[in-house]
Amino acid sequence: MRRSLYTVGTVLVMGAAAMAGPASAAETESQASLSVLHAVPDLTVDVYVNGALTLDDFTPGQLAGPLPLPAGNYQLAVTAADAPDASAPVIGPVDVTLEAGGNYTATANLDAAGNPTANFYTNDVSPVEAGKARLTVRHVAAAPAVDVLAGGAPIVPNLSNPGEASLSTAPGTVSAAVAAAGTTEPVIGPADLNLAEGTSTIVYAWGSLEGGNLALATQVIEGLQSTPGAVPGGQSGLAAQSADNDGAALGLGLGALLLGLLGGAVVVNRRRTARA
Amino acid sequence: MHEQRKSFALTAASIAAGVLTICCSVSLWSGPTAPQRGITAAAEVVSPREAVGPASPPVVPEANPTRKPTGAPAPPAPVLPPPEKIPVRPARVDAEPPPVPPVSLDIPNTSISVNIVEVGVDKNDAMEIPNSFWEAGWYRYGPAPGSESGNAVIAGHVDSQTEVLPFAQLRAVVPGTVITVGLADGRALRYEVTEVRNVPKATLNGSEVFRRDGPAQLKIITCGGKWLPEKGDYEDNVVLTALPL
Repeated sequence: MRRSLYTVGTVLVMGAAAMAGPASAAETESQASLSVLHAVPDLTVDVYVNGALTLDDFTPGQLAGPLPLPAGNYQLAVTAADAPDASAPVIGPVDVTLEAGGNYTATANLDAAGNPTANFYTNDVSPVEAGKARLTVRHVAAAPAVDVLAGGAPIVPNLSNPGEASLSTAPGTVSAAVAAAGTTEPVIGPADLNLAEGTSTIVYAWGSLEGGNLALATQVIEGLQSTPGAVPGGQSGLAAQSADNDGAALGLGLGALLLGLLGGAVVVNRRRTARA
Repeated sequence: MHEQRKSFALTAASIAAGVLTICCSVSLWSGPTAPQRGITAAAEVVSPREAVGPASPPVVPEANPTRKPTGAPAPPAPVLPPPEKIPVRPARVDAEPPPVPPVSLDIPNTSISVNIVEVGVDKNDAMEIPNSFWEAGWYRYGPAPGSESGNAVIAGHVDSQTEVLPFAQLRAVVPGTVITVGLADGRALRYEVTEVRNVPKATLNGSEVFRRDGPAQLKIITCGGKWLPEKGDYEDNVVLTALPL
């Protein structure tokens, strides 16, 4: 039911957009969204997309985007910051496919052994249940498997580079830390993470254990909220509007009116019982 | 009349037992597609899955670099914005300070003069409504009164098991009425009522009522219309809309 209501809404919105300009509606429909995270310590780079310089002097710990791109195939390459073009990449080139409506994050990072590499993640942008927040953790660090802790307790066990895990949780601030798998002594954090309701928070563990520069990077995708399924403002029926004096009932279909009369009859009967 | 209603409520309660205690909480939207709920964080952990790896072996720089690194079919014509147009920022999140919550609601010419408490979502995926007679709930995940955009949503019970409550007068509030919402920092916000209408619960458009963007509005909601004994619920929501002054 909920889905069908939203579908109607979507169709209406699309209809409105089509009236405003058919080209823009079609364009939006075929767009994908790409973010790029730089998670290689101590290395300033340039990022090329399809051979064109797209991010200049991109520094570690920075997040670029989201970049709206037409769906399709792309080639990403990461070069030294002083490279004249994409011909001598230090990472890649990597061929990726962006699907229409998809939301992606490409990371330049270290693999578990400490070598520069790239990963391409598909971000979950499905609606978040009302009253919840989505948390995704990704291991893109030169480090063995880790446990992710919230308030000192493991919430994601045994996560290895380049793995990811996702969970739905109560919104609010959590004290997050990362420890070697099976331990609780933090190698990163603890740090406060604010998980806002209806958003997706993606946390990357990056850097190098050996280099002593492990850190967290955070990306937030907003606007994924759902609405409560109902507003239950009554408890007993004592404030019911009767069918007799409710003019609005006239506007309803015959079937609904009959239902209303039946409902009224039941109430009347019960009131008689109550009087008796 | 009051006594009669009380006895009705008791009788009805004995007839319909559990149905009445479920009251309005029957969600008219929940269906097969309703999301799972009430699962604790720890139980929801999804096994780590491999990220989609690079399509070509990473790391190794081309030993014999060419201007076109692969022989793949021609990629789409680049439509990329220039580098200076792409937002780049540190990958961290600074928590925004929470909005100042509302603490009171007064609607003239009614006995609606209540305290406001912060509410969320109950286990049935419905908006929480305070049980106290003298309180209404503000949906704390949406905009607060005074926000620059979106709907601030406040809801209260129209009745209890034994009494009709002040919110039963919501449906009779006339457009033009000026409502006052008090905030925790002492400010008083004024809103002018533009519309009060009954909306069948089956067609209540949640994404409109709980809208978080667009023009700033105040939505005050309770139950109304006919009581549907078979559902243990009112047929309608009464939705008051007011605009900031």
